[in-house]
Amino acid sequence: MDYENRPGRPVDFEFRGQTGEWFGIWMTNLLLSIVTIGIYSAWAKVRTKKYFYQNTYVAGRNFDYHATGLQILIGRIIVFVGIVVLSLVSAIPVVGLLILIGLLLLVPWLLVRALRFNAAMSSWANVRFGFDGKPMGAFLTFLLYPFLTLFTLYAAFPFADRARRRYVMNNHRLGAAPFGFDAPIGGFYMAFLAAMGWVVLLAILTLAPMVGTLLSNMGDPAAFERDPQMAIRLMVGIYAFIFLGLLPAGVIYNAFIRNTVFNGTTLDGRHRFHSDVRPMALIWIAVTNALAVVLTLGLMLPWAQIRLARYYAAHSRLIPGGSLDEFVGTLPARTSALGDAYADIEGIDIGLPV
Amino acid sequence: MAATYGQTVHRVRGRAFPAGQSRSHPAELRLDGSAAAVVLDDGSTLAGCDRTALKVEPRLGATPRRLVLPDGTLFETEDHDAVDAAFGRSGWSVVHAAERFHPRLVLVVAAVVAAAWALWRFGLDLIAAAAVAMTPAPAVDAIDIGTLQTIDLSIAEPSTLDAEARASSEAIFARLLGSLDPEVRAAHDFRLEFRDLPGLGPNAVALPGGTVILTDELVTLFPDPDVQAGVLAHEIGHIVEQHGLHQLYRSLGIAVLVALLAGDTVPLIEDIVLEGNVLLSLTFSRRSEAEADTFGVDLAQRAGYDPAGLIRFFDYIEDTFGDAPSWLSSHPASGERSEAIRRQIGQ
Repeated sequence: MDYENRPGRPVDFEFRGQTGEWFGIWMTNLLLSIVTIGIYSAWAKVRTKKYFYQNTYVAGRNFDYHATGLQILIGRIIVFVGIVVLSLVSAIPVVGLLILIGLLLLVPWLLVRALRFNAAMSSWANVRFGFDGKPMGAFLTFLLYPFLTLFTLYAAFPFADRARRRYVMNNHRLGAAPFGFDAPIGGFYMAFLAAMGWVVLLAILTLAPMVGTLLSNMGDPAAFERDPQMAIRLMVGIYAFIFLGLLPAGVIYNAFIRNTVFNGTTLDGRHRFHSDVRPMALIWIAVTNALAVVLTLGLMLPWAQIRLARYYAAHSRLIPGGSLDEFVGTLPARTSALGDAYADIEGIDIGLPV
Repeated sequence: MAATYGQTVHRVRGRAFPAGQSRSHPAELRLDGSAAAVVLDDGSTLAGCDRTALKVEPRLGATPRRLVLPDGTLFETEDHDAVDAAFGRSGWSVVHAAERFHPRLVLVVAAVVAAAWALWRFGLDLIAAAAVAMTPAPAVDAIDIGTLQTIDLSIAEPSTLDAEARASSEAIFARLLGSLDPEVRAAHDFRLEFRDLPGLGPNAVALPGGTVILTDELVTLFPDPDVQAGVLAHEIGHIVEQHGLHQLYRSLGIAVLVALLAGDTVPLIEDIVLEGNVLLSLTFSRRSEAEADTFGVDLAQRAGYDPAGLIRFFDYIEDTFGDAPSWLSSHPASGERSEAIRRQIGQ
């Protein structure tokens, strides 16, 4: 085998998807989803995941996604019915509060189910991933710690985030081989400060021109009504701040964190990973992608997705600490689609940062 | 390369991964009659099964075709033609044909654009209307109770109106309800609530279950029964035509559609789509306001009030507050609304 026993020589991630090909799959997904009033979207999701997983190669072997459309559909129906029932019932004042408390207890369990489902349904070469985390860990790292950082005015947020990444990574495995993650807190604070710095910089550039106008009209609520143009300028400034300040700050943060997580992760205690995505390159990609997609009313979305996947793959490496042929799977654990559908609808991004 | 021997024997070149292993071996899939076997290059058989027990994964772009044996052995090949020849076409072959980057794809694109437009223009309203019809009345009443409590906790102060002013507004409200079709009246739990809402100015709010909230400022600024009747009849119009619930389901529907259809998008895009949707939903909101105006003028007239009362209200609003550009607003410009009412009552 090409990749056997060459410890230390980095192996690049490769993404082999093609824009034209993906465009056709995406369009057909959309068409079939619309004409089946959304039912096909479950199969579309599977085809989408399979396309991106199967086109991602490490050491000549690709990933795969194994959930079936039916599993996803059933999960979505359960979640949809659950949300409808909950939102109707929770309009009753006291019951609403009780349900909120119940949900708070249920969320860690659902998170664990979602992580387990996604891991068990993913594979590399012929070996399935697995997730062994417990709901208590999810409760601490996804809910309690982030909540507690509130009392430090988010100054301790990097610690909470590191705890969450540790929980997620340390409980993942490839077959029987465990992932391990740890990193000094410095990397997390650097990401945090870089994102904050960007927000402050853009706040000064986009919002400062308005502060003067606002201050001079303090205590005069009718000022806006006399000059509607002022309200528009204010709105444009706020939107500029959201789209140029807040959202790119998220991109910056994720870029730094991705590098930190990759560089601090081991597999089976021997293999290491490396990521060197550059925040400014990612912002450039995100902004030009967004422009291209909006200006073409969505038609360029497949191009944007492929471009991003290529960039990520090109900046990810595996540094083998031994043969990559020796991973062995364990018996597949029983999982259900419920957790996955919940994560899907709520848009919680808890996947591996690949 | 694949070679076909007669009708029943097929050989497909590829690579095999033993069950649950990351090591791959160059191998050949041999199909002979009803038997299937994965044979390694040294001639040994890695795994075998009945041909019908093979799980042949659908074709997806140019990715290698995957065939899984019951014991978990994975056979992978780029030789799609050989697999198709051995196993024939399935429903997924049709999907794959539609997906291919081929001039025919233009048809798919055109169909998607047409379907997406129809969905946005008509489908959403149909879905929302169906959902409104299916919502049980107690659930709608619960929304009123919950919303009123939220308003009381956050922005509302108790009303400081005297009993006389309240009684006069109550009487107008009752007279308007009396002019409603009895069947329509019975379908909602109409109630009038008074609140001091400092931020809202002279205003009235309709909740989907039938609760109408009148601000103190409106009652004190406009003691004129014709004005109050016009405003209250407008709010009753929102309730009877179920605009609130409809809009709730509409925005919910769009959020679900974006999540389901677009799936995992790229950073920034989802935020742009949702913000754009807010602007687009304002169109729907302005349409609802115009509908409620028409309904309200008609109802006030039937109840014996001067429908021009609502015009006086809008004129006051326009003089006092001016108008923001209409594309940014949830309500049509007050001037336009007065004009429309004048046309309606032929004045």
